[in-house]
Amino acid sequence: MRRRKKFSVPGKYLFACLAFGCILLMGVSFITGYSGEPVNTAAGYLFVPIQRGLNYAGGWLREKTDNFASLQEAQNLNEELQAQVDQLITENSQLQQDRYELSELRALYELDESYEEYEKVAARIIGKDAGNWFSTFIIDKGAKDGIAVNMNVMAGSGLVGIVTKVGDNWAQVRSIIDDTSNVSATVLSTSDYCFVQGDLKLMNEGVIHITELRTEEGAISKGDKVLTSHISEKYQEGILIGYVDELVLDSNNLTYSGTLTPAVDFEHLHTVLVITDLKQTAD
Amino acid sequence: MRRKLVVFLLIILSFVLQNTVFKTLALASVSPNLLLVLTASVGLMRGEKEGVLTGFFSGLLLDIFYGRILGFYALVYLFIGYGNGKFHRLFSDEDIKLPMVWIAFSDLAYGLLIYFFQFMFRRKFEFRYYFLHIIVPELIYTIVVMLVFYQVIRKLNRWLEKWDPDKNTGPGGLLHSGTPVLDRFDNMKEL
Repeated sequence: MRRRKKFSVPGKYLFACLAFGCILLMGVSFITGYSGEPVNTAAGYLFVPIQRGLNYAGGWLREKTDNFASLQEAQNLNEELQAQVDQLITENSQLQQDRYELSELRALYELDESYEEYEKVAARIIGKDAGNWFSTFIIDKGAKDGIAVNMNVMAGSGLVGIVTKVGDNWAQVRSIIDDTSNVSATVLSTSDYCFVQGDLKLMNEGVIHITELRTEEGAISKGDKVLTSHISEKYQEGILIGYVDELVLDSNNLTYSGTLTPAVDFEHLHTVLVITDLKQTAD
Repeated sequence: MRRKLVVFLLIILSFVLQNTVFKTLALASVSPNLLLVLTASVGLMRGEKEGVLTGFFSGLLLDIFYGRILGFYALVYLFIGYGNGKFHRLFSDEDIKLPMVWIAFSDLAYGLLIYFFQFMFRRKFEFRYYFLHIIVPELIYTIVVMLVFYQVIRKLNRWLEKWDPDKNTGPGGLLHSGTPVLDRFDNMKEL
C-alpha cells in the first residue's frame, strides 16, 4: 500500500516549521485580533454536538444523584423555608408598595428604564477551560443565535462575564473571576466608581478583587451592592456584580481596595443568559 | 491511516473529557491535563514527528476553544511532543517509570511556561502561590490519571502494531519516525 517517497521530512524540520507557523499565527492574531473564524466554525461543528451530548448525560446523572442525596435535606429545608415564606410575604407587600413609589419617582425623573429590558438568550455551558489557569467556558449558542463578541453574560441576577470569541454554534465566555478580567463598576449605595478584577489566587476563596475605590471613610459597609457602571465600555449599566466583602485603605491614602463576593455561584454554573444588546458606545 | 484515525479519536476524547467530566471531578479546583499525557505518550512511543503533530493539533484545539491568541497552546504542546519524541529511543514498552517521569517533567514545563508567559508578563509575581496551588496539584493529579490513561494508549499502540507491523523499529515502533509526512497525508485521503 505504502508508496515509497524520494524524501522524508525529518522530525526537527517539521517541528521548526510548525513552531514558526505558531509564532506567526500568534503575531497575526495578537496584532489584528484575528480569531480564525473558519477554524472556529469547523471545530464547532465537530465538537459542540459531542460536548452537548456528554453534558446532557452528565446533567441527567447529576440530577439523579442529587435527588437521592437531597431528599432528606429538602424535608428539613422545607420547614425552614415555610417560616421564611411567611416572613417574605410580609416583606413583599412592603416592597410592592416601595416599587410603586419607585416607578412613580422614576417617571418623575424620566429615568431611562431600558436597562431593565435587555433582550436575553439562554445558553447551556458545555465545557470549562481545559487548563487550570483561567476561567473561561464555552456555551452552546453562537453567531447563528445572534451572539456576538462583547455581549454580556448573566446568570440569575448577577453578572457572569463577557463573550470573547464566537463560532457558528458556540461561543467563548470569559468570566469575571478570570485572572485577566477587569470590569468598571460602581457601588450602589454611594455611586462611587471602582474596578472589579478577577484573580486566580482569590478565586479559590470565592471572592474577587475590588480596586481603586474612591470613597469617604465609613461610607461603604460590608454587603453593599456593586453594579456595572455606566462608564464601562463593554458592560451594560446596572448589572449586579456582587457584594462588598472587605475594604482596606490603599497605601496612597486615597483609594480603597479589597474583596467582593460575586452574586453568581461560579462553582455550580450550568446555564447562563446572554444579553444580546451590545453596549452603545460613541466611536 | 488506521493509526492516524486512532490518534485523532484519542485527541477528541481527551479534549472532551478534559473540559467536561474532569472539570466536575476537579480536586482543589485543579483538573488533570489529558492532552498533555496523550501528546507526551505519543511522542515517547512514536518519536518526534508524531509527537509534534499530536501536540500541534491538541494545542490548536485548546487555542480555538479556550485560547486568547491563536497559536500559543499549539506552540507549547508542540514543544512537549517534540521534547518527548527525543526520548523515543529510550522508550521501552514494558516500562512505565520512564514515561511517568517524562510526563511529570512535561507537565512541570507546561505549568512554568503558562506562568511565565501568561502571568509573569502581567506582573503577577507570586510564583510560590501559583507553584504550590496550581502547578504541583495539577502535576500530581495528571500523574494519577496518567497511570490509567497511559495503559489505554499503550494497549492501542500494541494493537495497532499487530495490524501495521514495521520491522525497522524497536518495540514501540510502527509507523517509525522516518515515515514521510507526504505519505501520511496521502493516506489521509484514503480515509
